[in-house]
Parts: sequence; structure tokens; C-alpha cells
Amino acid sequence: MEKLIADFKQNFIEEARWEYLTNGLKTTLIVTVGAVILGFILGFLVAIVRSTHDRTGRMKVLNFICKVYLTVIRGTPMVVQLMITYFVIFGSVVFFGSVELTKYIVAIMAFGINSGAYVAEIVRSGIMSVDAGQLEAGRSLGFSYRQTMVLIILPQAFKAILPALANEFIVLLKETSVAGYIGIVDLTKGGDIIRSKTYSAFMPLIAVAVIYLIMVMILTHLVMRLERRLAKSDRN
Amino acid sequence: MIEIKNLVKSFSGVTVLDGINETIEKGEKVVIVGPSGSGKSTFLRCLNMLERPTSGEIIFEGNDLTKASEHELNKLRMKMGMVFQHFNLFAHLTIKQNITLAPEKLGIMSKEEASDKAEELLEVIGLPDKADVYPSTLSGGQKQRVAIARALAMNPEMILFDEPTSALDPEMVGEVLQLMKKLADDGMTMAVVTHEMGFAKEVASRVMFMADGAILEQAPPQEFFSNPKNPRLVEFLSKII
Repeated sequence: MEKLIADFKQNFIEEARWEYLTNGLKTTLIVTVGAVILGFILGFLVAIVRSTHDRTGRMKVLNFICKVYLTVIRGTPMVVQLMITYFVIFGSVVFFGSVELTKYIVAIMAFGINSGAYVAEIVRSGIMSVDAGQLEAGRSLGFSYRQTMVLIILPQAFKAILPALANEFIVLLKETSVAGYIGIVDLTKGGDIIRSKTYSAFMPLIAVAVIYLIMVMILTHLVMRLERRLAKSDRN
Repeated sequence: MIEIKNLVKSFSGVTVLDGINETIEKGEKVVIVGPSGSGKSTFLRCLNMLERPTSGEIIFEGNDLTKASEHELNKLRMKMGMVFQHFNLFAHLTIKQNITLAPEKLGIMSKEEASDKAEELLEVIGLPDKADVYPSTLSGGQKQRVAIARALAMNPEMILFDEPTSALDPEMVGEVLQLMKKLADDGMTMAVVTHEMGFAKEVASRVMFMADGAILEQAPPQEFFSNPKNPRLVEFLSKII
């Protein structure tokens, strides 16, 4: 017991090492939230192009571009995409004169573009799961394709895919743990730095794992509540 | 009101409608009957361009729908309601929102006007207490009455009914037909695809018999049912009555 307490002190209290975890957590959250926003926007746009093409045959060129995007992103590892984005595509670019800020922007772009591909397929499956009769009913009343999509199809699709979208958010939160590859000190990297300083692996790594777990549990709980609210239209 | 000229529709080489010429006048109640696969639903769905005709013209209030732009088409569809076999109520909206959505968002009524109109229509269809519930809680007959109210909210010139009672339990058919009869009595122009011969006899101003993508015979209901001429129609009537 005393050894545990000594371990705890050495890893987190001395030299204020806990700050590696709190600063890392902040970084993880910033990158995740930025990437989720970008990913959802990209994903919805791609899904709308793809399902519009499937249902009406329009947007051939855009659909082709989307398909290439999906194939490349889903066919290569996230870490490789992250490194290519940072070292190859933006290898000699510095945004706003700050290397630190550039890393953040690149990470948000890389994770967001990656997530967008998965969100796109989730949203597309949601759009396709809405009965074709809903589109016909909307059109028969005089709504344009776009209005029908926004007012009638997407709200229903969103409800159907909410669990899958939440899952994607959770996956992304954990996936950002490879951000250290481009020198970002996120939660995982923060824990690893503590390990390299104290030569003790147990405390910092378990602490990192527990923090991820708690965040995921909170998210899961929030999604369940949201789902219950959206399920109103299925009940009496 | 609507004039159909040489309407042809084929799906990947199979001809479903084979050159139909027809005119429906304002106030008419045209009931279309025929064996399944005869093209009657496709014909109806071509009238508001849910199905794009392969060739031919559909002239509604002086505009050829087959040549109209998307924007014009949306405007014209606002005047032509449609009621579907499977109701197609918007599952994520309450009954009242189902009725107010189109008039409000398409800008033909203010929020208050749409709301008043919806309440008035809910009285007409006998469901004023269902305003704030979701479609999943209604019976089939109630859903179809709401679907009719939704179409009526746009103050259409004409309503198309695509087998409105085919998906209903038998005991619910009556309430929907009764509402349709009321619309007919109020002078609505209607085109109805149905298997309900009783409704055709009672309400139709003209009954059409379709088979193999063509209108083989049409007459006022009394003559249609008591004195059919086309052998296909004679056979069809002998099977169902």
C-alpha cells in the first residue's frame, strides 16, 4: 500500500506531473471535437451526394469523387494518413506562424477527413433506410428534392443512425491517441512522457486508460438520453 | 383540367402504358379499375410526374408537365394532392405538424393560418383529439384520413388517390371511403385507383377499365357495371362481383 502511494506521488504529484495528463486531455478534447465537427459536415455532404446519385442518377462526377475519397480513406491506416497529411501534404506549411497551431490544424483535418468517410457511410445507410414513400409524399406536396431531404428525410435518418454516429464519435476520441506521431502531446502522449520520466509504467498508463474509459462512459450515457428523447415519436 | 396526350411509359423495355389519351374535367370523379399489373397506378403516378413518362404530354392548367422545369413542377404539384396506399405520413412529426408542414414551409399560409386550417381539417376528418400524437399511434384508417387532410391542407384543385384502402383492415375501409365521398360531394376533382366497386358505383362520375397499359372501356358507373362491352371487362367484372 505504501508503495502504491509512493508510486502515485512520484508519477503525478512530484514536479506537477499531473499537468501532462490534464494538458494532454485538453488537447485530446480539442482535436476530437474539431475532427468530429469536420467529419460530420464532410460525412453528411458525401452521404447526400451518394444517396442522391443512387436515387436519381444525378451528380455523376461528384459521386465519383466521393467514391474515390471513401476508398482511399477507408483503405489506408489512420496513422499513415496523419503522417502523410503532416509530413507530405503540409510538410513545408506553417499556419498563422505557429508550428504548434499547425500541428493542431493538421491533426483536426486528418482525423476529420478520416472520420468523414465513416460518417458518410453511416448517414447514407440512414437515408436509404427511410422509406421511399416519404420522399414521394414530400414531392407530391410540392417540396423540392432539397426541401424534402432537409425537412423529411434527414430528421428521420438522423434518428435511425444516432447510435452509430455516437459510436463513431467514441471511436474517434480513442483514435486521436495516435496524434503523438506528429509530435502532439495528447492524453496518451502525456501519460507516455510521465512513464519516460519516472520509469514506472503502471500508474501513468492505467490513469490514461481510466480517463478514456470515463469519457466514453459519459458519452454513452448522454447518447442514451438523447435516444430516449428522439424515440418519442415511436411511443404513445 | 388535365389532359393526357399519347402517354407512354416503359420500364427497361417493358411497356406499361401504351399511348393513353384522356381528359379529366374539373369536378369529375374518375375511378380507375382493372386487374393488377394493368398500369393503373403507373398512370396515376404519371399525372403528377412521380413517374416520368417515357413520351407524351400531360397538360395541367395549360402547362405541359413533361416539359416543365423542376421549379414549375413543384408549383404545379402544390395544386395536385396525392393520397398513397401506404399513407406515407411523416413519422417524425405529430399529426398536426404533418398537416401544417407543407402549407407553412411552402409559403402559402402563415404559421397561424396553417394551424387554424389543420384544426379545421382535423374536425372534418373526426380526429381533433389526435393533433399532438405521432402517426405510429394511429390505426390504418385514421392514418389514411390524416393523409387526406394533409393533401387538403394545400387547397388542391385535384386529388389523386392511389389504392387508398388497399392496405387497410376491412373494418377501416368504410371510414376512409366515407371521407372520400364527402370530398366528392363538396365538388373536389378526383382520380381514384381502387378495387372498391361499391365506391365506384356510388361516387364515380366515370369509371375507367384499364388492362395491358390501355384504357379499354369507360362509362358512367351504371352503364359500366350493368352493360359492359369489352370482353376483358366482362371477364374482370364476373370475377370480382
